[in-house]
Amino acid sequence: MNDMAASVFDRNNVRISGKGERPILFAHGFGCDQEMWRYVASEFEQNYRVILFDYVGSGRSDLNHYDPAKYGQLSGYAQDVLEIAKELDLRKAIFVGHSVSGMIGTLASIAEPDLFGRLILIGASPCYLNDVPDYYGGFEKKDIEELLTMMEMNFTGWASYLAPIVMNNPERGELAGELEKSFCSRDPAIARQFAEVTFYADCRRELDKVTVPSLILQCSEDSIAPKEVGDYLHAHLKGSTLKVMQAKGHYPHLSHPEETTRLIKEYLETEYA
Amino acid sequence: MDDKLNDLPCGFFTLTNAGVITEANRTLLNLLQYESGDMLHHHIEAFLTVANKIFFHTYFYPYIQLHGHVNEIYLTLKKKDGHEVPVLLNGVLRERDDQVYIECVLIEMRKRIEYEKDIVNAAKKLEELNKEKDAAHEALKALHKELEKKQEELTDLNRTLELQALTDGLTGVSNRRAFQECLDAAFAAFARSRNPFAMVLLDIDYFKRINDTYGHPVGDEILRRLTQELQAQIRSIDVLARYGGEEFAIILPGANRESAVIAAERFRKSIEEADWGEYRVTISLGAATVSEEDTAESLIAKADQALYASKSGGRNRVTHSED
Repeated sequence: MNDMAASVFDRNNVRISGKGERPILFAHGFGCDQEMWRYVASEFEQNYRVILFDYVGSGRSDLNHYDPAKYGQLSGYAQDVLEIAKELDLRKAIFVGHSVSGMIGTLASIAEPDLFGRLILIGASPCYLNDVPDYYGGFEKKDIEELLTMMEMNFTGWASYLAPIVMNNPERGELAGELEKSFCSRDPAIARQFAEVTFYADCRRELDKVTVPSLILQCSEDSIAPKEVGDYLHAHLKGSTLKVMQAKGHYPHLSHPEETTRLIKEYLETEYA
Repeated sequence: MDDKLNDLPCGFFTLTNAGVITEANRTLLNLLQYESGDMLHHHIEAFLTVANKIFFHTYFYPYIQLHGHVNEIYLTLKKKDGHEVPVLLNGVLRERDDQVYIECVLIEMRKRIEYEKDIVNAAKKLEELNKEKDAAHEALKALHKELEKKQEELTDLNRTLELQALTDGLTGVSNRRAFQECLDAAFAAFARSRNPFAMVLLDIDYFKRINDTYGHPVGDEILRRLTQELQAQIRSIDVLARYGGEEFAIILPGANRESAVIAAERFRKSIEEADWGEYRVTISLGAATVSEEDTAESLIAKADQALYASKSGGRNRVTHSED
């Protein structure tokens, strides 16, 4: 492994397993890390090369690489996906993206279509904010603002996170350790920026640039990515297949791993048969 | 549900793994002002604001699925009348009869949340103040830099002024004040080393006539050319100064009587032989070599007397004070 690859793999905590050749990347969503795929990813190890990773700021990624300017937009995260794919020399990889990762993978596929064979989007949304009268994303700006405040309160715990003071206060380091234990995102400031980038993102204009075929897995009652959003994606992504799942909620890969696995496998088998 | 559980001093409820409420104790129902039928078999989402829904789905749910518990989650629940109740919630994932449940307890956070908001606001204000402080600091640094620059300019200006104060504006050589300082320095060196030095006073012959006949611009030009001519003749250790009007002074370090006269004669000759065009320019010179008893005043007086002697002796000549 060369130095560049080593640094990319450390940065994004890249984990590779599986006996197959065809690469399948699982990309976690906002507020999570690669652990989210524990019930699904293992089901692909027999026939695929399974690649898991954490976005910078999440899971066991290297926080030293966090650059607020780069990760102030989804394209910064997409760039990391591309770097991982290039270092692994992937061709026609299957990209499974949950939640915001659906759009991150979509952006990556627009930049380098040859790296991706299929996109599988679980609970993805091109835009969370409503844009009346043409678009229903499910959320108003005030909802997102309230969410950011809630996150602030939850991350800070009751001792409150005083951003400017913590920086000059090394003795508060033990608090950081506790935060690390309490959520998947380790740094409150990073989690907040990731939330802003995620929930204020608008990728609608990018969708018609996508050339890689896709499967949209739409949960039957997902209050984060409602049915209207799945329909919108299906209408705007060329070569997309829409499957409405029995699963309800926003985490079918946690709540209904069998159904999730089955639908992905069915799609891949028919597509490649 | 037994009375003890029903009337716990905290809200208690159970969710299916999909988030549907299967149990809710009286304390919770009273807190939210619901009848039990209002809550049972409804999804927890029904009692959450939109932001809380997102939070529930992006944090609470995945975390409890992976780790089996959540602690100290801050949520806001909707009461029957639409008002919101801030609560602090703990939950655990339990398995009973092959079914997975989520059991939660919560307490109302009304007073604590106000304090918390105060702290958050204070922190934000502090952050703003810090930013202002940093900005002020930056401004101060910029001002300081500007001050340093101005000081540098002032130092440069002072140096220029100092130079101007010691330089003759017309010819660019030392002025009388600078000559005086050099002479004092020469006496100090003489006191230390006993090495002799000489000084020469010289005057342009009939300069007033040139000025009156051809005008001051011509006179000035002759003064400048004369300076150049003398500068070409002196050594680097010699000092040439404009002493006043058409009078110049030269300090010749290391010169005794004989060498002072030789040098002065060289000066005279070079001026006489220089190409002055239609004008004729000569100089008269008086030289004096320092002695033990001399002061700056007495040496100047001796050179002046020698110069006077050259003038009265017919001009265009050199006289030494000891002649």
